[in-house]
Amino acid sequence: MLEFLEQLTNGLARGGIYALIALGYTMVYGVMKLINFAHGELFALGAYLGYCLLVSSNLIGGLGPVLAIGLTIILVMGLVALAGHLLEKVAYRPLRHSDRLAAVVSALGASIFLQNAIMLTWGAQYRAYGANLLPNLLITVGGLKIPLIRIVVLFSALVVMLGLRMFIHRTRLGLAIRAAAIDQKAAKLMGVDVRQVITVVFILGPALGGLAGLMVGLYYGQITFNLGQLYGLKAFTAAIIGGIGNITGAMVGGMLLGLIETLGAAYISVGWKDAFTFLVLIMILIVRPTGILPERVVEKL
Amino acid sequence: MTVGDSLMLKLEGLKVAYGAVEALHGIDLEVRRGELVSILGANGAGKSTTLMAVSGLVKPKSGRIIFYTDDGRQEYLENLRSHQVVGLGVIQVPEGRRVFGPMTVEENLKLGAFSRKKWSEDDLKKVYQLFPRLEERRHQMSGTLSGGEQQMLAIGRALMAAPKLLLLDEPSLGLAPMLVKSIFKAIKEINLSGVTVILVEQNARAALKLANRAYVLDVGSVVLTGCAEALLTDEKVREFYLGTR
Ligand SMILES: Nc1ncnc2c1ncn2[C@@H]1O[C@H](COP(=O)(O)OP(=O)(O)OP(=O)(O)O)[C@@H](O)[C@H]1O
Ligand SMILES: [Mg+2]
Repeated sequence: MLEFLEQLTNGLARGGIYALIALGYTMVYGVMKLINFAHGELFALGAYLGYCLLVSSNLIGGLGPVLAIGLTIILVMGLVALAGHLLEKVAYRPLRHSDRLAAVVSALGASIFLQNAIMLTWGAQYRAYGANLLPNLLITVGGLKIPLIRIVVLFSALVVMLGLRMFIHRTRLGLAIRAAAIDQKAAKLMGVDVRQVITVVFILGPALGGLAGLMVGLYYGQITFNLGQLYGLKAFTAAIIGGIGNITGAMVGGMLLGLIETLGAAYISVGWKDAFTFLVLIMILIVRPTGILPERVVEKL
Repeated sequence: MTVGDSLMLKLEGLKVAYGAVEALHGIDLEVRRGELVSILGANGAGKSTTLMAVSGLVKPKSGRIIFYTDDGRQEYLENLRSHQVVGLGVIQVPEGRRVFGPMTVEENLKLGAFSRKKWSEDDLKKVYQLFPRLEERRHQMSGTLSGGEQQMLAIGRALMAAPKLLLLDEPSLGLAPMLVKSIFKAIKEINLSGVTVILVEQNARAALKLANRAYVLDVGSVVLTGCAEALLTDEKVREFYLGTR
């Protein structure tokens, strides 16, 4: 039982990370009907910027863990958001009026470019955040020992997701995003500045992705330049499982993916974990091609 | 203010092309304050294209779209982006209604007021007064409304923007005759309350009964214009658009 709860909390934390990345795919797709293939690389960039701040610049030594992590979160999210914004300007905006496929090619190109840029900057070898970066605290709940970092990861993922939901449903800009996701032309006729909406989703999505990258570094301890590939692919799948374009769906899909993967690795086979995960995902999609959420909940964004 | 004492909108030599194909070959058109002007024409004549150009959703190849504001300024709409046009109070109800299906009726109406700094429950009430059906269904997903109810919603949503100039693109499309009647009655009411209206229609007879003046488009050009009563009895119009009855 304890073993199961241990795996469960681990799966939820992993799922929270997937969910954060999946949100970036789904928001951009919702508004632009474009899959931002470079999103996984923005996520990896977040992991490396975190490495840069926490390990190379040793912020923790200077500021103490709480302040250092707080500052790192803000800087990583801000810088990756900026990168996402530049990406939109350079790779997508010039193609606004061109063929869909042109944008896909541009997205793939941007992805390769970013991955190479990361490799050239930080090298092809693994980089370690280090096991002793944060005090290795264990929280004990009735015999169950949970690493503090797991709680921090899960908790911040949930807070960010909740915040995003409130932003989308309670603010004027959120309303504009929802309207543009349903029908761009009609949204324009309501006075929504769709260009501004696109700018916003290309800032929000990457910010969340960058945060997820930082979390991976902190939670798993080491990163590599092609980190974005597999995480990107899985989070993208999570977004599809939740019904692409659907924000709640991306959250649910990400969580589900984290759980399936962790429990599969624990109880079936570590080596077959990715194969097993995708098998389950494919089966879900065969049964529900438009995603797991029931029809009535399916509200775009 | 009497109807038609000052200009509100003027199109000068408006040309629009989709790729290499020119859809409008130089349209001249005027709308005066308080008027209800109808644009008639067969499928593909360029009626929707004209409205889309005014709303800033397609950019003209050449020509001008001049909007005269209440305080006497002239705005060249061809240089503005769509949300700026909406900001001036030029509001379109597009062909096919395009309500936001996954949102409720009331959310759609609130979204209609998106361009305004302030709006009140009174604005909602006014829409519900005009279309009581919408109030009954305020919490229903608008995608599940009937065609007629969706049209009411599309018009109500536009009213929430406090339009100065209302552009209606084929509001009678696909509606039963009874519903067309009540929609047209509502349009007249809106116009009489002081909103200038451009009504694009294929249902020429009904539109001409409502309008002050009308323009007839054919493959991208204005072929006929005049006051509505005269057009109703015009030989050519009767032959081509009203059917000889
Ligand atoms: N997005 C587009 N791309 C290419 N051609 C277009 C586009 N929209 C309209 N057209 C063409 O422009 C011409 C005018 O179309 P428009 O929709 O303005 O006609 P309409 O008078 O509104 O017709 P209807 O009564 O059928 O709505 C048509 O020949 C149409 O095929
Ligand atoms: Mg049309």
